[in-house]
This record gives sequence, C-alpha cells and structure tokens, in this order.
Amino acid sequence: MFFDLNIKGSSLENNIKLAMEASNYGWEHINFSYNQNDFQNALNLKEDLKENLKDTINFDYTLEIESTNINEIRKNVNKFRNKALCISVVGGDLKVNRSVLENIKIDVLSRPYLKRYDSGLNHILAKEAANNNVAVELCFKDILRSYLAPRAKVISNFRDIYTLYRKFDFPLILSSRAESIFDIKTTHDFISVFKQTGLTDEEIDKSFKTAENILEFNKNRSNLIFKGVRRVDDEA
Amino acid sequence: MKLKVLPPTLRKNNRYLTLDIKSVSQLTKDELVNIIWDNCVRFQGECNTSNFNLWVMKFYEIGKTDDFIHYKSIVRCQRDFTEDVRSALALVNKYNSKNISITTIGLSGTIKSSEKFI
Repeated sequence: MFFDLNIKGSSLENNIKLAMEASNYGWEHINFSYNQNDFQNALNLKEDLKENLKDTINFDYTLEIESTNINEIRKNVNKFRNKALCISVVGGDLKVNRSVLENIKIDVLSRPYLKRYDSGLNHILAKEAANNNVAVELCFKDILRSYLAPRAKVISNFRDIYTLYRKFDFPLILSSRAESIFDIKTTHDFISVFKQTGLTDEEIDKSFKTAENILEFNKNRSNLIFKGVRRVDDEA
Repeated sequence: MKLKVLPPTLRKNNRYLTLDIKSVSQLTKDELVNIIWDNCVRFQGECNTSNFNLWVMKFYEIGKTDDFIHYKSIVRCQRDFTEDVRSALALVNKYNSKNISITTIGLSGTIKSSEKFI
C-alpha cells in the first residue's frame, strides 16, 4: 500500500485535482494536511470531498501544527486529538523537536532538519522517538524544490537521519508534501529518489507500513486506556 | 564510411522509459533533450550520466488544460541505470523559470511495447 500522509490541503477543487492525480500515479491513500488555523474549516469540506472522491482514492486529514511555542503546540494537540487521525508538528527548532518527540500524543515530527545546518536529530532524540513511537517525516518536496548546494545539504541531512534510524529503529515515514499537481510523482519515481539518497527497498516498504500503522492505531485511540492497555469488545 | 554494426552480444542493452510531462509553457523536443541532459548531469554528475546512453526517441503533445500543457515522450536509457535516470527526471521542477513536472509512467524493453503507455 502506498500512503502519503502529507499533501498540502487547500480548496475543494484543488484537493480533488491533487487526489485524482495521486490516484492516477498509483497512490492508494493520501492525507491532506492543514495547519491549526484552517483545520476546523477543512473538516466542513470533508463530506463534499468524500462524495467527489468515492471509488477514486482513500483520503483523510492530517493536522499540521506549525509553531515554535511549545505550550501552543501542546494546547493544539489536546484540542484536536480526537478530531484528527494524524497530528504532525513541523520541526526545525531544537526545542520543538525535543518536545514533540517526548509527547506520546503526537504522531509525527515533520522535517526536523527544516531551516537548519544539521539534521535536527541526535542519538538522544532518536531514542525518545523510538520510546514514544513518534515518527520522523522526510519530505520529497524538500529535495524537489531545492537545487545544487541546498539540495546536497538536504540529502546529507536525510543521510544523517538514516544512520540514526538504522541504529535506533524509530518510525520513519516518507511523504511528498505536494502543493500542486506538479509536485506529485508516480510511486515508483518517489521510491527511486529515496533509494538514490541511501534508503533500501525494505526500509522504504517499512516506511509506508509505518504510515498505515499510524492511521490504524489512531482509529483505535479512543479505546486506549494507557500505553499498552486497550479496551477490546470481542467476547472471546 | 559507416561503422559496421556490433554483434548482439557486444551491443548495449536498452530500456525505454515513457515520460509523462506537464509544462506551463510550450515545449519542443530539443528543449526536452536539454532538460533531460541538464538534470541528469546535475543530479547524477558527469561521470555517472555518461553510462546512461540517453536518447529521446519520441515526443508527443497530448493536450492542454487550464493549468498545463500535457506531453508524453519515450526516452532510451541503458538497462542497469533506469533507476538513476528516473530519479534524476523526477526532480525536474523548473524550466526557464516556469513550472514543469516529469514523471515516469512506464518502463519497457522495446519502443513498441512502451507505446502502450502513451
């Protein structure tokens, strides 16, 4: 299954265009991401979008929190936890990276390397990510939209993250963060770019499974009493 | 005088990539050739690109929409380097400061079979 948990959501028409294009190129599930200010309005679009994308592609919403204030991030997570199937926080700031990876209520730390000269992760943060099951997200768009030296630096940051990933085995997900139909590529192209940066086939497959697992886990989150204990209905 | 054709065992093995191209501005085949070479050299380097044996075989204009002009093309490359070529082409995003997107929608061993993706 090919999952993309971060396609930038906007108007209804644009979302439909993006979803159609993604479906044509082999994607099976996409998540439209909205920031904390637009998320509530986006929920109102959901029914119309469902109607239009019936039998085309599965979709859902990701709440993408963009803030450097840790308290604001925490408040937004608590506010939207029951409404969003996936909550990601845009990283880049070291304090944000750390607080996100320590928060079990957050699913994804998106782009910890953003606007930085390093990957934004170290062995301590990698351990926290693995312990709290917070995924680290790498975006295809960061390679696509940069060129020459900045592109080389982004790829270098990706490689640093791969090294930590291989040692600490935290959840890693790959996404496109497409804003327009020009940013959506076929699944095979997407995979081959990440293969060129140093990931193996198995690691890429695992990243798609991780994305699927995040959504599955959050569907049952209401039954989770605390870590490791879940309410089950089946009378066995 | 023309060189004699190599025996089959000494010939290079080719694969044909079918490209799906969306461009905001009008494109010609020569411009596509430039785009492909420039981006392969930029992403893979000169030494690696020398292995690719790139050649634009066919170029079609499919249609126009409000947002872009849609083209398809068949590009030849060497058998063991298809992944390298398709990753380099997937990373094309601008030409003459205008948006462009290239993605590979098919891979086959003959031009004839790659035409089914057009």
